[in-house]
Amino acid sequence: MKIDMKKLAAWFDDRLALTPIFKYMTKKEVPQHEHSFWYYTGSSILLFLFIQIVTGIMLALYYQPTLEGATDSIGRIMTELPLGWLIRSVHSWSSTFMIAFVMIHLLAIWFTKSYRKPREATWMTGMMLLVVSMVFGFTGYLLPWDDLSLSATKVGTNIPMAIPVVGKWVTQFLRGGGDVTGDTLTRFYLFHVCILPLVIFAILAVHILLVQKEGMSVPLKDEIAKKKVPALPFWPNFILREVVIWLVLLGVLLTISLAFAPSLELTADLMAPAPEGVKPEWYFLFLFQTLKIFPANMGPVTGEFVAVVLILIAVVAIFFLPFIDNKPEGKKGKLIQYLGVAGLIYAIVFSIWSLL
Amino acid sequence: MRKIRVLYLLVMVPVVLAPLAAVAQPSGVPPTVKDKAQIEAAVAAQAAPTQQAKPAPAPPAAKKPAAKKAEVKRTEPIVPAYSGIREKMAVIVFYVWLWFSIAVLIYFLRLWIKEADRVYKAKYYEPEESPRKDNPMAPVLGD
Ligand code: HEM
Repeated sequence: MKIDMKKLAAWFDDRLALTPIFKYMTKKEVPQHEHSFWYYTGSSILLFLFIQIVTGIMLALYYQPTLEGATDSIGRIMTELPLGWLIRSVHSWSSTFMIAFVMIHLLAIWFTKSYRKPREATWMTGMMLLVVSMVFGFTGYLLPWDDLSLSATKVGTNIPMAIPVVGKWVTQFLRGGGDVTGDTLTRFYLFHVCILPLVIFAILAVHILLVQKEGMSVPLKDEIAKKKVPALPFWPNFILREVVIWLVLLGVLLTISLAFAPSLELTADLMAPAPEGVKPEWYFLFLFQTLKIFPANMGPVTGEFVAVVLILIAVVAIFFLPFIDNKPEGKKGKLIQYLGVAGLIYAIVFSIWSLL
Repeated sequence: MRKIRVLYLLVMVPVVLAPLAAVAQPSGVPPTVKDKAQIEAAVAAQAAPTQQAKPAPAPPAAKKPAAKKAEVKRTEPIVPAYSGIREKMAVIVFYVWLWFSIAVLIYFLRLWIKEADRVYKAKYYEPEESPRKDNPMAPVLGD
């Protein structure tokens, strides 16, 4: 039977009013210039997010968020379920890739100054996405409930304690009590599979909508010179190029996931002392090291308090970066560029230092 | 254009179906070990491809069933590892298949991209110049 594609399309168009969307897609253009490559970072994050959802749902079919069941259920996924070890490995590696690409995306936008007017809100929603992605990682790390994840969560949830007045409350809220227990596992699971996905989709919808509204930015110098930058249609020219990148990334992800599947340690013992060398996930290492280099006491306050306040100030400053860098072509713009490079070097050096 | 798509589909379908078929097989890595007690011994017996070799097999006491049911308390970490030459070869074959499929797909995608760029440069779909100005979906559906 020959399917008449035109009739089928017309049927769907009639019901779903697809024409305006298609019209938009065919009209949407992506500028082509020496930095166009960075436009692919956003869609690469989407690819990894999609993989996280699919593999996450598969894992959730068998994972049990209880003290007795957590580690064993992952053990079962790894040893009894067909390719369970691979699904877990892909979920774990894809989270690493996703956060790495969020960071690359952020840095690319920082260095090309694409956050400048009128894209301030796009940047701010992006910062929220970065935080949510990291919280995803933090909550997911506890789920295997082994010694390392328990200790890392104890250390991580203890950090807010350094903030006066609200700190204790924040820690208690995160842990569901004074200490990390089964209640912490329950709420981390709830955040990981329910609340954070809702939050990320809500913010992502706004982020993508803003990107569509403003279109892709052109390089600053071309904007100043009012030069017309050549462009490619998003559909199909640009999206096909994206598919090429996705295929390569998928290949790399599968190759690494097969070769370096994560292992599973023994079930955490709530009574046992913290093991040596507790380390958070790689993307928290530089913050972890920052906290470590401050002395225990700095006058009337603790060193940890000073570190936490400094980190918070930095995060807020980066959140409002488009407003701080309001003259991107001037001297201040240059300085902020250098600050970005300094920040990157700092994060790399401190991450390596924390591993030594 | 249409031919390219047919070829593309011909490649795409097996590429998508093959992993599904693999998932349907009741095997994982290490496929030869099915329960936790076995895996401990198996894991301890061979070095993982990515991790250090694990200590000697768990003492027999650890493998004895616990008081009630046949629930075994784990005393060793579970480390995925490929056991034997057969599984190691299978992984290599999979890698070759994976990257070959990707290369083939990219080859077809490049043809498609070239064609799409050519059509764009020829202003085939420009509203004023296109013979298909009444069909806004044409660039989407090809035709
Ligand atoms: C889950 C995380 C994120 C996803 C899925 C995402 C997705 C995207 C996509 C698909 C685009 C359009 C294509 C591109 O420029 O790459 C985009 C653009 C943009 N994103 Fe993100 N993004 C995320 C995180 C971030 C972060 C962390 C920032 C910065 C703080 C950010 C700031 C921006 C800006 C300013 C643009 C517009 C770029 C331009 O017009 O040139 N995004 N994002």
